[in-house]
Amino acid sequence: MSTEYIILIAGFVFGFYMAWNIGANDVANSMASSVGAKAITVRQAIVIASILNLIGAAFIGSHVTDTIRKGIVSNEILNDPHIAFVGALAALLSAALWVSFATWKSMPISTTHSIVGAMIGFGIIAGGFKAILWGKLTSVILSWIISPAFSIVISFIMFSIIKRLIISRNNSFDRALKLSPFFVGISIFIVVLSFLFKTPLGKTLSIGTPMAVLVSAFFAVLIGYIAKFFLKRVKRNIDGDNGEDVFRYIQVGTACYVALAQGANDVANAIAPLAVIYFFVKTGTVGDQVPVPFFLLLFGGVGIALGITMAGRRVMETLGTKITHLSNSRGFCVEFGAATTVLIASKLGLPVSTTHAAVGGVLGVGMARGMEALNLRLVYEIVLYWLLTLPAAALTCMGIYSMLQFILQRM
Amino acid sequence: MSSPFDGLQEHAEKVKECAWAFQQAVECHVEDRCKSFEELRQEVIKLEREADIIKRRIRGHLPKGTMMPVDKFQLFMYLREQDAVLDAVEDVLDWISYRVKPGIPAELSKDIFLFVDSTIDPIEELSKMVAEARKYFDSFSDKQREVVKEIIRNLRRLEHEADKIEHMLKQKIFNMEMDPVTVFHMIRLTEIIGSISDHAENAGDMMRAMIAR
Repeated sequence: MSTEYIILIAGFVFGFYMAWNIGANDVANSMASSVGAKAITVRQAIVIASILNLIGAAFIGSHVTDTIRKGIVSNEILNDPHIAFVGALAALLSAALWVSFATWKSMPISTTHSIVGAMIGFGIIAGGFKAILWGKLTSVILSWIISPAFSIVISFIMFSIIKRLIISRNNSFDRALKLSPFFVGISIFIVVLSFLFKTPLGKTLSIGTPMAVLVSAFFAVLIGYIAKFFLKRVKRNIDGDNGEDVFRYIQVGTACYVALAQGANDVANAIAPLAVIYFFVKTGTVGDQVPVPFFLLLFGGVGIALGITMAGRRVMETLGTKITHLSNSRGFCVEFGAATTVLIASKLGLPVSTTHAAVGGVLGVGMARGMEALNLRLVYEIVLYWLLTLPAAALTCMGIYSMLQFILQRM
Repeated sequence: MSSPFDGLQEHAEKVKECAWAFQQAVECHVEDRCKSFEELRQEVIKLEREADIIKRRIRGHLPKGTMMPVDKFQLFMYLREQDAVLDAVEDVLDWISYRVKPGIPAELSKDIFLFVDSTIDPIEELSKMVAEARKYFDSFSDKQREVVKEIIRNLRRLEHEADKIEHMLKQKIFNMEMDPVTVFHMIRLTEIIGSISDHAENAGDMMRAMIAR
């Protein structure tokens, strides 16, 4: 068996492992606040997230991928395909190992940053420090501040609005119902816009910004009123005066969107390196971009779904219950803050991570005094893991790369 | 994380639970053939110990950086007053137990009953106050805030009522022909019983600070 096939098989294994990890760690971003607010059970969250991630990955995921993800490492290293493949393998494995470690520790981290860190490690060991595009790296570091900050502000404002307009009122259920077209509408607006701008499928539709805004606004108004019609059937609880129930449904809707978008966007983290190897083995060439066949996307999607099913619970608990207890309106604010942050920031060309935005959202509601208790110490610990992600993944990648080189040279 | 308000509620329930045993114990003591006083006193002591554990758990397991709708020390001050209510209840029974015979003079027994009864409401009101305050921290509604404030006002009123009974009792005690030891025993007893609603009122005041905007 030639080395290429060994590398390809290893690529499948490592790619699947990475996909599994993405599922295990990132599912918390979408579902944790819904679970924490008891809008859905953990089991339901796992089923919903698995299906939506799978669909997102297989059908909305990008059919084309950059050879070297995120443009962290300069393309010169690519000249020798062998170095590139070993690097891709090492990056996959080291990123996956770090995410595994974080998941084991129940810490939500950014899987994208793990891949970026691993790529840096690969770049340094394969091409020296000059192979790293430091400008890109700065933007990654910026995102540590930008994503939480944006989402703190947005969820803070959102919760203050809800507090003032709905939950502090006497007839909060009626108020919530009356204003539900607005809250559903604004969520749908963000969701449709994100879908058009953020997901690979939306990008292929290539609708211009003004048109996209128009389309989103149309859907926002339409679905907002449809939602009101259905929400009217929400049974009032015994008190007959609780706006939280209305948010329960809106919240789960937002969560579903985040799960779908996540599958679409993150599957590439696991599958892109594999696609590069696969493409080379089949055609013998490598370009700047390679196509990703459908079955690879499906393969990644299955990996993500399995990861969610087998290990998604851990991180979900940290974000959904260990930091604080969320009610439905608070959970809605967190998710809205996270989704909006990711949309705005990526539209401005700033790198953001859904994980960081989700944690920021929780903080924002806490700052608006929306919780009985918010464990800031745990938040510090999570931030520490974010900072560790780059160096940890980079160092692991260097070690694995050297090891793989050593092994492959003997073969 | 588990909310410290869960603990506060749990602690308030313990305080509420002791009210019944307290009342029974005093009534039993005044009766002629009382057998269960010591039993009831032990019941209160047990509750006090359990409440103490909850109190320590709240204080010891609130991580340094915990963001809450109220100041951490306000919460602790409130907890201290709520705990002091239970301590005072225990003190009353302890004080009675030091001088089981001849005990409370028959002429005063009615007034003592009345006095004890007047402290039961404040004791029981605390758990309701905590529950309603939690609802306020959840909704921030003015209506809910008013509910809590009404409970606090009620606590203040009840304390005032209890105070009046205390004055009346003390006057009676000093104007009766009794041996000085009994006078001392009764005056001190009156004071400790009176401190129960004082602490309940203090807890109310702390709560008022916690729900201040």
